[in-house]
Amino acid sequence: MKLKQGSFLWYLYLDKLYCLLSVRNVKALVEYFHLLDVHRKKTLNDVLFYHFLHHVTDLTRNQITVVFNMLDWNAVGEIGFDQFYMLVCILLAQEQNHLEEQFIFRHSRPVFELLDLDGELKIGPDNLHMYNFLFNIKKQQLRDLYHNFDITGDRLLNYKEFKLFTIFSMDKYQESQKAEKEKKKEKALLKKKLSQVNQSQRESLLGIKPFESISNYNC
Amino acid sequence: MGRSRRDPAPPPSWSVNPLPHPPRPEACGNWVRWGRSMEGKPLKVRTLPGPPHPASPQAHPGPLTVLSFSPGSGQLPTITPTTPISPHPSAGECRPWLGSGSLLPACSPSPPDSPRPSASLVVCGPQASAKSSSHHGSGGSSLQDIRNMWTTATLSQPKLNVQLPTVREDSELEEVSVSAKTLWLDEKAGHDAEGGWEASDGGEDKDRFKPEEPEELELGGDSSQGSRLEEDDSKTDNEKPSSVSSLDISRHTPHRAYWVEQQSRLPLPLTELMENEALEILTEALRSYQSEIGRGHTLTKQLQRYIEGLKRRRNRRLQVLAI
Repeated sequence: MKLKQGSFLWYLYLDKLYCLLSVRNVKALVEYFHLLDVHRKKTLNDVLFYHFLHHVTDLTRNQITVVFNMLDWNAVGEIGFDQFYMLVCILLAQEQNHLEEQFIFRHSRPVFELLDLDGELKIGPDNLHMYNFLFNIKKQQLRDLYHNFDITGDRLLNYKEFKLFTIFSMDKYQESQKAEKEKKKEKALLKKKLSQVNQSQRESLLGIKPFESISNYNC
Repeated sequence: MGRSRRDPAPPPSWSVNPLPHPPRPEACGNWVRWGRSMEGKPLKVRTLPGPPHPASPQAHPGPLTVLSFSPGSGQLPTITPTTPISPHPSAGECRPWLGSGSLLPACSPSPPDSPRPSASLVVCGPQASAKSSSHHGSGGSSLQDIRNMWTTATLSQPKLNVQLPTVREDSELEEVSVSAKTLWLDEKAGHDAEGGWEASDGGEDKDRFKPEEPEELELGGDSSQGSRLEEDDSKTDNEKPSSVSSLDISRHTPHRAYWVEQQSRLPLPLTELMENEALEILTEALRSYQSEIGRGHTLTKQLQRYIEGLKRRRNRRLQVLAI
């Protein structure tokens, strides 16, 4: 899932630590929501919501329908600002440096309740797979999830198991970030060394040349 | 509207055309106002007295710590007391360009029996967001510069806040400067605009987007703009030369946020971007409405009128800028 470059949402910032928008971002988002709230009901109906998502993302029609059904937790057929805000945070988390793990970790409860379509306080593998495009959970991760964290063994995840999964994936994410940083540092060090070696070679060449010319002159 | 639908939606227009005109100082005025409200104030704890509106445009001035949304829980959104959040040290890149301390009423009053998410998402406080960094993975460096520009615009606001009162003091003593007037007009327009887009009148837009008018009012003694102008009108002739010189100075000293935007060479007022995008989305939605429920339906007509209103507003603004 990608946000359209140059769209309004694309200019918003998600706080990297808390995975939330700042107050001013929210203020701008409120104004944007007002602009889209054509019928002055402080909600977006399914048509407006579809066209909004279709315009700013590359989601397909089915995916948009899935998102709408997920967010319309009151089954009213309309999306209010709080659901809209949550959606924007989810979209930005995926867009900005892949903050999905961080987002799920920070907001595990709301995410769990979004995924729990039936209200049974348990998530099956189908639920997670359905929203794979939103939270970017890969198949292998799903398998690991249910293999490692289904403590109760009922092939479903309750909230505690889900929370453990978010902690685990967060740790993995932080480790991968550290590894990337170290790689970058190593690359930078290598570059520095190479440049130093090149410089020393140049200096040595320059040092040899005048000596050779003098020796040739003498000869 | 029914939830099942057939959507012969045309392919979306993916191009967004940035308007070539330079940004207006008054477009930044609101950000100054928000920034000023944040200036030097510690985080405060407040609780909402009752069920708020989901997206009420009226925001309380003043700092905000945390605002929690409780989707579907029936609970009132509250502002939880927090100590100033120490920002996470990260490689300083972009800072959120929006970081005012305004309070936002949030949650829509949901039915109490809703089984949906009862946990809350929290709006980041300004301290937390001030030093956090976030980057889009995609996008060229020039586009990142725009966002950097907007982030630095907020950072520059404390200095603005120092400057503006002095300008206003001078203007009270001598004459009202153009920048102060435009700011004052912005505030007035901003307050009026909070009631909805219908509230913004043609007259207001003219006040907002015609910089010649404040000068004329100042010189002509039109008291329609408020008491400040009335005070200015009563000044002696001796003060007029100094006022004229202060006007000249104020004309040549641009608004700081405007200056930062100019330096980035890609000025793109946020409201215009939002309106353009909203217009494109709603135009596509109108086609769906017309095909699904017919042209004569109330909702279709309402949407059509709304789009026309938006277009008129945008054209008016473009005409004013072109002058």
